[in-house]
Amino acid sequence: MRLPPFEVLEPATLKNALSMLEKHKGKVKVIAGGIEIVGLMKLGLSAPPYILSLRKIKNLQGIKKNEGQVIIRSNTTLREIIESSLINDLFKGISQAANLVAAPPIQNRATIGGNILQNSRCMYHNQSELFRNGLKPCYKTGGDMCRAVKGGNRCFSVYQSDMAPALISFNAKARLEKTGSSRTILISDLFTGKGENPISIGENELLTDIIIPIPKGQYSSAYEKLRIRKSLEYPLMSSAVFMSGNKNGEIIDACIVLGAAGSYPKIIDRASKVLKEKKPSDKDIEEASRAALQQVEVADNLPVPASYRRKMAIIYTKRAIQKALKDLRKDRQL
Amino acid sequence: MKKIMLTLKINGDKYEIITYPNRTLLEILRDDLLLTGTKESCGEGACGTCTVLLDGLPVRSCLLLATEVKNKEITTIEGLAKGEKLDPVQESFIEHHAIQCGFCSPGMILTAHSLLNHNPAPTEEEIRFAISGNVCRCTGYAKIVEAIQALSNRGRE
Ligand SMILES: Cc1cc2nc3c(=O)[nH]c(=O)nc-3n(C[C@H](O)[C@H](O)[C@H](O)COP(=O)(O)OP(=O)(O)OC[C@H]3O[C@@H](n4cnc5c(N)ncnc54)[C@H](O)[C@@H]3O)c2cc1C
Ligand code: SF4
Ligand code: FES
Ligand code: FES
Repeated sequence: MRLPPFEVLEPATLKNALSMLEKHKGKVKVIAGGIEIVGLMKLGLSAPPYILSLRKIKNLQGIKKNEGQVIIRSNTTLREIIESSLINDLFKGISQAANLVAAPPIQNRATIGGNILQNSRCMYHNQSELFRNGLKPCYKTGGDMCRAVKGGNRCFSVYQSDMAPALISFNAKARLEKTGSSRTILISDLFTGKGENPISIGENELLTDIIIPIPKGQYSSAYEKLRIRKSLEYPLMSSAVFMSGNKNGEIIDACIVLGAAGSYPKIIDRASKVLKEKKPSDKDIEEASRAALQQVEVADNLPVPASYRRKMAIIYTKRAIQKALKDLRKDRQL
Repeated sequence: MKKIMLTLKINGDKYEIITYPNRTLLEILRDDLLLTGTKESCGEGACGTCTVLLDGLPVRSCLLLATEVKNKEITTIEGLAKGEKLDPVQESFIEHHAIQCGFCSPGMILTAHSLLNHNPAPTEEEIRFAISGNVCRCTGYAKIVEAIQALSNRGRE
């Protein structure tokens, strides 16, 4: 599989990178770790005339703590995140999610920015040109039909980042810069909600930082992921849980986010409501886990059937809640 | 597309290559430099036969643009032996019959080599996690794990 032709831009500063993005708007793609973009170019799913490399830009990598928050620069690799005791101490669920991405050789290169900004996937779409040439174009490639859902009127491709749900459970934000201005938005607001084109960042914008607020008081978190093999696999369904509690063992706040349950990470508000302001019983946990089901929007476009993934949304949410709860209660005894 | 000049450091040697910018490190290694110990199988990051060490860490050379690794240290399987003397990991793989068809072996050996450099006393669990990105269709992994365990300081303490 050969790559299509392109020219490589290698700005040495952030400022130059932003002006190059502006200049070649619509014709340039950023390369961070390259794990996704090189793969997509090989399949003929992306063919930008310019590739903008971040490799020469200094200080776009690293993790630091300041005033109630932790800032991870966008080009930080997943390996650095896994090895960071700061992240593991403060945000277990995020550390667990990074550890479960693909396998170590991919974690060594893949960046947090690239992981969040990855496109949604579908087994009818993420295929070779030869495979796709035999089929009519679907919504994802500008056509007017979906191969996964008969009569479907939109694209059901699946957003399969492990990092995004875990980050969203902690209310993390993304800082985006373009020439002349910047904005900081919730990571949950980075999504369009549409499978055709799931990420909503401007073509002239660069993601520079992930900002995670450090929660107050006692809290815990967990990430659970369904996959067939124990490594090298995207999530087929996943659940990230954050919860905080008081001295009496009551849950004060909770946030539950599903991954691979549709074209964007799904925040399950109902589940949080069921768990909050009480010591959740087994029945409450069951009810909160079942609430996950209401937001699952899956089709038969991944290696396991949609019906199975739906059931697993309940199971994996329950496991993540139990894991986080166990941690929260353990901390209380200390 | 204009050709570019690339300087790569591979196994301690410096190579100056004139090539197109849209080439992966794997293509340069195999097609231009005839360092064919690095294998191509899936071409999409899912198997690990194309593993090389980048500044000492295993990565997928099939997903790595050659332009991205200028000025970095690249180690391929050809770079492990010192003349006629095999690397201890290579010897251990032979001794423990951890090689059958051998297609995964270059990647597997480099991955194990990097693991032992960073963690001289890995547990079985750590070994299995480290090689979890390298697929082997022959051995069933047990012999590979044994070969690496034999080099772990843990066993000799
Ligand atoms: C075999 C295999 C298994 C995988 N398994 C998993 C898995 O289990 N879980 C999971 O979450 N992922 C998985 N992935 C996906 C992989 O983790 C992501 O592709 C990777 O994290 C992307 O990061 P990157 O730095 O390589 O991004 P790149 O490929 O460099 O970029 C990805 C996208 O983000 C854009 N981009 C990157 N950085 C910026 C920036 N700073 N500003 C603006 N745009 C930017 C690029 O233009 C591109 O569109 C797997 C991939 C493979 C090949
Ligand atoms: S879900 Fe349907 S429209 Fe979307 S990529 Fe798959 S086949 Fe195409
Ligand atoms: S050829 Fe690179 S991972 Fe399979
Ligand atoms: S020895 Fe044949 S694939 Fe591993």
